[in-house]
Amino acid sequence: MTRLRTSRSLAPLAWLALLALLALAPAAAAQEQELDPRVFEIANELRCPTCVSESVGQSNAAIAREMRTLIQEQLETGANRAEVLVFFQERYGDWILLDPPKRGVNLALWLLPVAAALGGLTMLGVLLRRWRAAGAAHVEADPADVARVRAVLGATDVGGPAEEDDEPWRT
Amino acid sequence: MFDLSLGVLGSAGVALALAFSVYAAIAGAVGAQRRDARLQTSARLTSIGVFLAVTTAVVAMMAALLTDDFSVKYVAEHSRIDSPLWVKVVTLWAALEGSVLLWAWLLTGYTAILSVTTPNTALRPWAISVMHTVQVFFLGVVAFAANPFIVLAAPPLDGPGANPLLQNHWMMAVHPVLMYLGFVGLTVPFAFAMAALITKRPGTEWMRLTRRWTLAGWGFLTAAIISGGWWSYEVLGWGGFWAWDPVENVSIMPWLTATAFIHSVQVQERRRMLKAWNLLLIVLTFSLTLLGTFLIRSGVISSVHAFGDGPVGPYFLTFFLIVAFASLTLVALRWDQVRDRSELDAVVSREGAFLGVNVLFLSLAFAVLLGTIFPLLVEAVTGARVTVGAPFFDQVSLPLWMIVFALMGVGPLLPWRRAETQTLKRNLTWMLGAAALAAGIALALGMRKVYPTITIGLAGWNLASFALLLAGAIVPRARITGRSFASVFKSYAYENKRRFGSMIVHLGAVIVALGITGASGYRVDQQLRLEYGVPTAFQGYELVATEPFAERTGGRLSVGVLVDVFQNGRQVTTLSPRINTFGNQQMNVPTASVRYTIGHDLYLSLAGSVTPDAPSVIIRAVQSPMVTWIWIGGAVMALGTIYTLSPARERVRRRVTSESTAGVEA
Amino acid sequence: MRRVFVSGLVVTMLGALFVFGLLRGQPDRDIPSNLIGRTSPAFALPLYEHYAAAFGPVLDLEAHRGRPMIINFWASWCGPCYEEAPHLERIWQRYQDDVLVIGIQTQDRDARAAGRAFIDRFGLSFPNAIDNDSRVSITYGLFGVPETFFVKADGTVMHKHAGPVTEAMMTERIEAMLR
Repeated sequence: MTRLRTSRSLAPLAWLALLALLALAPAAAAQEQELDPRVFEIANELRCPTCVSESVGQSNAAIAREMRTLIQEQLETGANRAEVLVFFQERYGDWILLDPPKRGVNLALWLLPVAAALGGLTMLGVLLRRWRAAGAAHVEADPADVARVRAVLGATDVGGPAEEDDEPWRT
Repeated sequence: MFDLSLGVLGSAGVALALAFSVYAAIAGAVGAQRRDARLQTSARLTSIGVFLAVTTAVVAMMAALLTDDFSVKYVAEHSRIDSPLWVKVVTLWAALEGSVLLWAWLLTGYTAILSVTTPNTALRPWAISVMHTVQVFFLGVVAFAANPFIVLAAPPLDGPGANPLLQNHWMMAVHPVLMYLGFVGLTVPFAFAMAALITKRPGTEWMRLTRRWTLAGWGFLTAAIISGGWWSYEVLGWGGFWAWDPVENVSIMPWLTATAFIHSVQVQERRRMLKAWNLLLIVLTFSLTLLGTFLIRSGVISSVHAFGDGPVGPYFLTFFLIVAFASLTLVALRWDQVRDRSELDAVVSREGAFLGVNVLFLSLAFAVLLGTIFPLLVEAVTGARVTVGAPFFDQVSLPLWMIVFALMGVGPLLPWRRAETQTLKRNLTWMLGAAALAAGIALALGMRKVYPTITIGLAGWNLASFALLLAGAIVPRARITGRSFASVFKSYAYENKRRFGSMIVHLGAVIVALGITGASGYRVDQQLRLEYGVPTAFQGYELVATEPFAERTGGRLSVGVLVDVFQNGRQVTTLSPRINTFGNQQMNVPTASVRYTIGHDLYLSLAGSVTPDAPSVIIRAVQSPMVTWIWIGGAVMALGTIYTLSPARERVRRRVTSESTAGVEA
Repeated sequence: MRRVFVSGLVVTMLGALFVFGLLRGQPDRDIPSNLIGRTSPAFALPLYEHYAAAFGPVLDLEAHRGRPMIINFWASWCGPCYEEAPHLERIWQRYQDDVLVIGIQTQDRDARAAGRAFIDRFGLSFPNAIDNDSRVSITYGLFGVPETFFVKADGTVMHKHAGPVTEAMMTERIEAMLR
């Protein structure tokens, strides 16, 4: 910390230069105040309108700061999360909601991944069944024999060749 | 007159490399076609020449950066005299042109190594030809579309310096390199897969030859994603590590398909099934690296860190389309050879679990891809504008992740081919017990959120699985041989690198999952006014702003405030959140100051401006439980990968109980 | 052959989508306003002293209902705003009997001096108000500055334009509103 303290001797002139620099950015001009944790929870569901792909909770843009302040005020006057979200949605449209509403064209967005996962698993199930039918066509060893061989091997086999060691050891 | 400047040297190196690479791509293919050993050798040796030529170009660029040679366009646009040394070095990949150059260079390095080390097989000449073809594309982009070596007729006296967000954290020295090492590493199995298709040898040869490359590529990609998260955490000022931004999404998509790939190749190795599936997976993985680069470098999709939109978008798109079409067509043409005539003994078996997890990883990748390009898709079809943000990705991916983690505990316990229901039932009972216990403790401690509780349960489930795996391996052996557990464990871990390494990686994944759960489920994010000298309470801490400060270090100006942090009346640390500005760039970078602990992080970032005479300062304070676990888990995953890859000493042929079982395995 | 065809089809569709993306350019431009066809939200904002004589200290939108309006949002740090300001002034000069032009300085907190300089530089004679905390900006669902709203005499928002406006473009809109 000494490094920081000594460098503070940079004092008035440098301060002015720095402040001038910082003042150039519009973001630095926004008035800041205390904000509840709930404000950020809601802000994280809103897209910052002037930013590129950032949420109101993340962004340092002036409008994002003003929006956080506004959310704080709305919460203080008793609004709940849904009401705040509706307030912004009415003004900016669905565009501002990072959680796309499940209606209209967005249904495709919500349903396709579910369909893909379910379809994939179903297809896998069908394939597995078919493969097992093919596998079952083979002559099966007597399970008792298999168990005996395994009892010997399982306990003594430290593994196969170095790269093919994947048979789990069992008791 | 010809003036040999660094720019000219670099351009010449790239041009030479490009010409060589074109030659090697053709010579490799023709040599393979005609079975001409001399041509094949010539192509292989050319790989080394290409690597040396690109190395010359990279060295020239590095020299230009370090000597502030602003006659080189890239240096003039992205470097600055008073930047510290490490920033100048890192500037090599801090902007578009340089990062493509780095990518091309790593690719030529890999190709050179492959050319020397790959055993002489029918695949080798074709694989090297494919590597060179990919290389021709990248070198072409460097030479024509995004040439960093253009010599400026009137060089400026100084440049603007690198992007402030990039030079604000040392992680930028690491993260992009890891990412490109990952991408390039995954090019190798792709090249061999193509070679396997061309030569009609779609067996396991291509994947055995590239197993290490695939794993290394996957490990680099994993490390890259985690380190990228750490970078976001420290630099972006809002205390998050993952925002489902397109840049992040396009890095996780190939990771997901590569993860599916490294699991399903094992099924092919063991069971000779899934030939076509594995080929498609590696095609998909490689294509996704190109598609991702296109998406974030072309400005087609809005992304917060689309650093340096450039002219390369159409090139990457074209190459992506060519690669996707050519490789899919090749698979289609070889369908008769690659289609499976698979047989399965039992659904509940290792291969069954691996197949299930494959479907899940693919579904995850699909969901991420769909969410990323959905706004574009809707705009193209209906003209409407929609937003797809983090809440969507969380809701869609979390259930899938939960199933992945559940399967992760079961899969390794299942034997290949079949499950002995008896053992399985016993194991599952233990694991369910552990899961219930863990979730119960979480509930008792007051956790009520659904996914975090499930995650904790799944952590218990997986830990039990690890314990059962190890116990099953060690206890009987120790009992039979009379050796101590520790010594049996040592030889087990040593002799089963692949299996033990995968356990370490899985353990790392569990740690990461716990970290993500804590940090995103229970994070408290608040904005506070700190009056100087007055303690303000935050989540069990007392924060006291002591004084503002300003400092100048290596081309960087910082204005910040010192905050003493007390816990239970005792000072635990002093944090110094600040706002950095770099050189003459007008961008302010609020830079957080973090107290890292294993339980939670205290993260302070300046929300308002700091003025010397103001009585107070506004701070954004974030308490994120267990964030550190993500970085630790990432390190564990990387270590596990390294362990798996570490050269196995010639297997000790003498078995533990060689006397009793001599001959059984002979 | 069928498989080759399918893979070709998939790749072509992806290609078409991304070519569309490339041709379209930046993704976040011209997002349609949610206010079109709805009544323009009311506001009352302090005016710069230049306009006190004609409009009083505060501009209350409700007081001016009944005539078409052009509501232009600008900021002193915004480059394109400097481009369009003379066009707005000319429009005001030409149509002030039929159309009310309102300028609102927004997303520009505590920048009155800069705002004054902006107004004086172009001699803006239409009323310019100060939206210091950007609330009106949020009320109107602004995605950036400059943005300009065209409000019909009945108070409904007819059109929103993002980016700098030109005299020709505004003339066209006004003629449509007056018709």
